[in-house]
Amino acid sequence: MRIFRLLLKAILRWAPAEFRERHGEEYLEIVSKRLREADSRGRMSVWPFAARELAGAVTAVLGMRLAMERPVAGAGSATGGSSTGGRETMMRTMIEDGRQALRVVRRNSGFTWTAVVVMALGMGAVTAIFSAANAYFFRPLPFQDPQRLVLLYETNPDFGWTHAQAAPANALDWREQVQAFEDIALYRDLGVWDVVLPSPDGPLVVGGTSVSGNFFDVLGVRPLLGRTFTWEETFAGRDDVVMLSHGLWVRRFGADPDVVGSTVLMGSDAVEREIVGIMPEGFAFPADETQLWIPYGWEPEALSSTSYRRGHWVRPVARLARGAGLEEADAQLQAVVQELQARYPETNRVMGAGLAPLRDFLVRDVRTPLMVLLGAVFLLLLLACANAANLMLVRSNDRAREIALRSALGAGRLRVARQLLMESVLLSLLGGVLGLGLGWLGAIAMATRTRLGIEGATQIALDGRVVLVILSVAIISGVVFGTGPALRVTTGGLQETLREGGGGGRGTRSLRVAGLLVAAEVALALLLVVGAGLMIRSAYLLRSVDPGFRVDGTLAVELTIPSSRYPHRDQVLAFWDELEDRVEARPGIERAGMVGWLPLAGTGWTSQFQAEGWPPDRVGLEIVHRRADRGYFEALDVPLVRGRLFDASDGPETPNVVVINETLAREHFPGEDPVGQKIAYDRRPTEESIWYEIVGIVGDQHQVSPGVAPRAEVFESRSQDWGRSGWLVMKTSVEPRSVVSAVRASLAEMDSGIPLAAVRPLREVWVDSLRRERFILVLLSAFGAAALVLASVGIYAVTAQAMRRRTREIGVRIALGADRVDVLSLALRQGILVIGLGLLVGLMVSLVATRALASFLFGIEPTDPWVLASVMALLGGVGLVACYIPARRATAVDPVTSLRAE
Amino acid sequence: MTPLTYQILLALADEPRHGYGIIKEIEERGGEGSAPSTGAMYLALQRMEGEGLIEEDTERPREGDDARRKYYRITDTGRARAEAESRRLAELVATARSRRLLGGTAAGGGGA
Repeated sequence: MRIFRLLLKAILRWAPAEFRERHGEEYLEIVSKRLREADSRGRMSVWPFAARELAGAVTAVLGMRLAMERPVAGAGSATGGSSTGGRETMMRTMIEDGRQALRVVRRNSGFTWTAVVVMALGMGAVTAIFSAANAYFFRPLPFQDPQRLVLLYETNPDFGWTHAQAAPANALDWREQVQAFEDIALYRDLGVWDVVLPSPDGPLVVGGTSVSGNFFDVLGVRPLLGRTFTWEETFAGRDDVVMLSHGLWVRRFGADPDVVGSTVLMGSDAVEREIVGIMPEGFAFPADETQLWIPYGWEPEALSSTSYRRGHWVRPVARLARGAGLEEADAQLQAVVQELQARYPETNRVMGAGLAPLRDFLVRDVRTPLMVLLGAVFLLLLLACANAANLMLVRSNDRAREIALRSALGAGRLRVARQLLMESVLLSLLGGVLGLGLGWLGAIAMATRTRLGIEGATQIALDGRVVLVILSVAIISGVVFGTGPALRVTTGGLQETLREGGGGGRGTRSLRVAGLLVAAEVALALLLVVGAGLMIRSAYLLRSVDPGFRVDGTLAVELTIPSSRYPHRDQVLAFWDELEDRVEARPGIERAGMVGWLPLAGTGWTSQFQAEGWPPDRVGLEIVHRRADRGYFEALDVPLVRGRLFDASDGPETPNVVVINETLAREHFPGEDPVGQKIAYDRRPTEESIWYEIVGIVGDQHQVSPGVAPRAEVFESRSQDWGRSGWLVMKTSVEPRSVVSAVRASLAEMDSGIPLAAVRPLREVWVDSLRRERFILVLLSAFGAAALVLASVGIYAVTAQAMRRRTREIGVRIALGADRVDVLSLALRQGILVIGLGLLVGLMVSLVATRALASFLFGIEPTDPWVLASVMALLGGVGLVACYIPARRATAVDPVTSLRAE
Repeated sequence: MTPLTYQILLALADEPRHGYGIIKEIEERGGEGSAPSTGAMYLALQRMEGEGLIEEDTERPREGDDARRKYYRITDTGRARAEAESRRLAELVATARSRRLLGGTAAGGGGA
């Protein structure tokens, strides 16, 4: 923030003197106060505030200057051709300079296009990544006063929880006792669940989510039609209500306003609910797929039971009371947390809690990748600037004579320098506009592959902020890469230039500058290409990880067996059995089974456990649970390591059995045989504990992603721990998607009212689990490729320029009998030196900088020697080629022609 | 009249205020983020002073108040202009209500 204050002061220095004297101090004092206020609202509100204040200061200074009738004093003298020039003179010379710059830019179309395209590449990358960052960090949230919203989470050192969902009973206690919160609402932040909605065209599966009744009030959002829920409707008895999204209202009810107040049958259990309200278009919080909201429907008396304190599945969102700060709220929260730890030791012994501003919390997972990508595009932009500076330098050499002539004819040096700057800014702005277009196309391409923006709240958009930032960056870049050449022109002796006929003598110095620029380009390119190389190698390693199941030739479909038509357990079990038999009879399907939750799709519920006979302090923490049957393991080729799989004999009435994975066996039964042991999902088993006998051990299946080690997992039999929802998984001998219609037909033979909620080949599930890595991989590869191109262009341009300057020398040498190869190697020597210097510097920087990538890499270190070596070889090779082509061309000319070149 | 000009005149309608006071007043009415940037406010103040809508108030409301603070008060011209603008806005609101863009007791209201 010190930079912000310095910048602000620098801007204000340009304000009219009278204003500075009268208001300067007060201005800064007000900004400081407001900055502190913004700071107290959380980190995410400081940056937008600072940006807005800077823009405001620029507007104010410009506005006051324009409004002034009198000539500009002081500050104006540096810009005008003469110190007596007023505002009008200043404007006139500016316009004149602009016209001149346009003329130059138009006249030299080859140079112009090269520079513009180079800048457009850099600016395009910045646009794409900044618009993504914008969607997360700056786009307005669709809530009232979002700065006052905070999300709460629970922490537990025993389980390694850092941002866990809360237990409802705990959250309700916070709601009662923390005064700094105006109110706390609860919602589900684990994506939507499928709700079956009857419709004239057959049953519709839509995304639903559960909320507490005050959810909409706490967020401060109003319905388009009707009303939102009340707090009382959170609880059973009053919970037969539903809110619809705008999209669902239009799609299912034809935007009929009269549906508000009517009832609708919904869900697999066909509950009748009253539609109380319609949300406005665009509101989908907390998940993009949310199409309806229903209250939790808790039994008020059940809330005091232990299960509401043991299960962690609600996300509390709180609105800070007016005037209350984060620290105050946190202090009060901690007091309640301690009280709960003391009062409920069984569930809350080490349960902590924390809070974070809503936006900070929602973007916590994307912050690092976005920062890495922003860093990468910044490097790319620097590279583009270095390139453009080089082009300008080459050009200013060629134009040295014209410029000297203009100076001699009376144009002030500042005027000439300013004109050169104007040219570079113009080029950069052109590049910026083109880059804005290119980058936006890129952003759209990214957005079609990966969801960009905060789920259910913000979208990627080309808004005023993006345009403003990009154009500002373009202007700054123009100044950055134009300053060097402009300075050079104005510091040299002009008589010297005129005498030498166009910059022959100054060539060596400018070549040295150009050489350093190229070395910098090579170093920057090395950094970017190393980043890309690391991601590529890491992706290759990730791909070779065995996920623990058959990925190809397998398909999964999700469905729910409705309680309305199949109220009893035995009906549901029989349904699954029959469905499996029916699909297995279809051609192309070899084996079918059922599982509650797919592998590589995250973890479902977790618990602790103890085995029979363990001492009280021995306990297994955070084991993952899934429900499955024999068919699941066989369809996905999950190997049986020991014991047996579930059998037809394991039924609801027979003793409970489970199958565990190898990790659980290894971690919790080291040196023992787990098969035959009995476990209960309690920290301290009691009389009421339910015991499960371990009958088999199966191979690990990665639960989260191939890059995340498998966790200890228990599989319950779907006949014993039964459920209505799950995935039917199939091994197919044909292309997986080609059997979908057969599966639908089999299902329809049994019940035509059950839709498939999802259809997913396991290959697709696998690809999705690597989405984050691939996103970064694709972008860094694109930046790396762009960096390679830019660096080659730079090397080529400088070598060509150097060769042109030495045409005469080369001609003489060849005329005197020197071997062309010798001359060529002489010419290459400088190129090799420059490239070598760049590679060395780049290598040293990348050894440090690539640490930023560490958390995205799998199986390799950020300093992987293979990657570093191959990238250096690649860059060196490309650099040499870029150097060789112009050198070759120079030595190929006939000595007579080259001697005449002067 | 720009919305900002109107906001500032509203803020000064009941008592003279200094720059920060104006910002706070606007934020209180409109919530966080509703106030202009400091620069935009000063630009507006300069302009409004030039147009004679407001003037500097040399009386200090409290003894020992920070001398750097400049207080502004609304002029008669400013008050007349603010009144005219308020009437215009009130008419717009009445129209909005009659076309059911706003709930309330006006004719035809209460549909939603």
